[in-house]
Amino acid sequence: MLLEFKNVMPFPLKDYQHDETSVWKAGFSLEFPKKVLLNASSGKGKSTFVSTVYGLRKDYTGTVLLDGKPIDTLSIHEWIELRRTKLSAIFQDLQLFPELNVWENLLLKNQLTAHKTESEIEAMLVTLGIGDKKFQQCATLSLGQQQRVAIIRALLQPFELLLMDEPFSHLDEGNATIALELIRSETDLNGGGFVLTTLGSHHGFNYDHELKL
Amino acid sequence: MLKKILFKDSRNLQFIFATAGALIGLTALLLSLQLIMDVQSFHSNEEELFGPNSVVIQKKVTKLTSIGMNSTEFSPEDIKSLEDKEFITDVAPFESADFKVGISEVEGDGLPHFYADMFFQAIPNRFMDINVDWDWNEESEFIPIVLPRDFIMIINYGFAQSQGMNQISEELLMAARLTIYIDGNGKKTEMIGRVVGFSHKISSILVPEPFLKHANGIYGNGKIKNPSRIFITTKDNSYGELDELMNEMNLDINKSAIDVAKIKTIIAVVIGIFGIASVLIMLLSLLGFVQYSQLVLSKASYEIKTLLRLGYSIQSIVNTFIKQLSITFGIITISAITIMFFVKIVAVNTWLEENGINIEGSSLTTTLIVAILCFGLFIVSNYLNIKKTVNKLGDA
Repeated sequence: MLLEFKNVMPFPLKDYQHDETSVWKAGFSLEFPKKVLLNASSGKGKSTFVSTVYGLRKDYTGTVLLDGKPIDTLSIHEWIELRRTKLSAIFQDLQLFPELNVWENLLLKNQLTAHKTESEIEAMLVTLGIGDKKFQQCATLSLGQQQRVAIIRALLQPFELLLMDEPFSHLDEGNATIALELIRSETDLNGGGFVLTTLGSHHGFNYDHELKL
Repeated sequence: MLKKILFKDSRNLQFIFATAGALIGLTALLLSLQLIMDVQSFHSNEEELFGPNSVVIQKKVTKLTSIGMNSTEFSPEDIKSLEDKEFITDVAPFESADFKVGISEVEGDGLPHFYADMFFQAIPNRFMDINVDWDWNEESEFIPIVLPRDFIMIINYGFAQSQGMNQISEELLMAARLTIYIDGNGKKTEMIGRVVGFSHKISSILVPEPFLKHANGIYGNGKIKNPSRIFITTKDNSYGELDELMNEMNLDINKSAIDVAKIKTIIAVVIGIFGIASVLIMLLSLLGFVQYSQLVLSKASYEIKTLLRLGYSIQSIVNTFIKQLSITFGIITISAITIMFFVKIVAVNTWLEENGINIEGSSLTTTLIVAILCFGLFIVSNYLNIKKTVNKLGDA
């Protein structure tokens, strides 16, 4: 999947002094599979970047292209198809269903894609240390636990590009490393790539490319 | 699972009110519709309550008429003006025999000996209020005669008693032949007649129109030019105009015919008001339900957005809503039909029977079709509304 930014400037960021190397000024063209790190301090537009590429925000000037096609020309139906087959995301606010339990939240996605077997999903829960929380309502989980549910959910579909908006912000370094390892192996299994945004820590991750904001 | 997410807060007071509103509205609509159709099928003896409104009109006989200064005849201009009235749909003058008529019994047919002077009148077949064999031609064995029902009452409870005669049953009178004496235009003849029925509405002695035309042609004295009685058919709910016409032309109309017209008008107005009120209730409750689904949608807006982000299609979300609302409104529709049916059977029919009114049960089909149409209308209006809202949330 080819992702290109041409003169893209989100409205809320247009008065901000951006570095010459910032994607908001310089633009970029990336062919996935690639593992990309997007490192920036708070307020520079990490979440805006993820939301824009995922098609949730349209408040920008310039052109964002996916496989050569401007994304603002995609219909809602095309977006839905993309989000089911090529594009996955872990949002900063996680977007879980608090009234459903962990298992229901995960099945909701997997029933749509039939990407993993139930035992594979259970294994993922165990890997991330929340195997015993399977039937706990999400609203009652800690933020760190919820974050891990959101990570697993994002992996329950085929993808060419996985967008992650500070996915480890509530995890300790040890758990973050385990989670990143799971993401890396699933990404390779899909033959896809990802963009990881962080506030600074690399979580010991060897990236192919770094984007700056 | 979609249902669990999308309807998580829907079992609240607003839902109960919207459901109750829709149930009451639909029940009221179906019940009034059913009752209107029942009343329309209501038959009081031979006269239909909502059938054609035919009345006989004649001019009032006054003192001036008696001394020959005033005529009760309807001139061709009078008839023309009646035909021009917007509320009158049919005008037919009575044809009268222009010769003398007398009748007596046929010996051996069971009737006591009698002789009476008489008259004949004829009206077009379409105004006959009873269903009898009314065909006559020159080869016919007898002349069919229809008498006013009051006639046999007068004979049996007045005349017969004072004359020491035996009373005559309707069946006997209809089984016996009568000798008809005709005298006019210098010719005399005898014919055979038979009573074939009794009319409530027409206080006259009726024979078929073809016979009277034929007989007038042979025995007519040429004295009668204009009719003095006219049959008119009025539109429904035209009691007001009829009353006005009576005063204007100084008419005499059978009191009971006027009462029927009045009652019909009142019933039609009352049922109309009831019908309009039910339609309004129904529309209000539909509106309430659309608002209810709007409420569910707005409460679930986060869930809808998230599902779209996870890759759920708009159609699958819309379908989940519609499926759930179909079940709810399906239950409401079936309940409304059941309640309507029970109210009709248990309350209305019992009450009518207690008051001696028999209603020929009209069919439930139309009511059921209307119920299904309401269901369809509800589903379609909600479908469009939900689809629009979900699309909007997807674009946001």
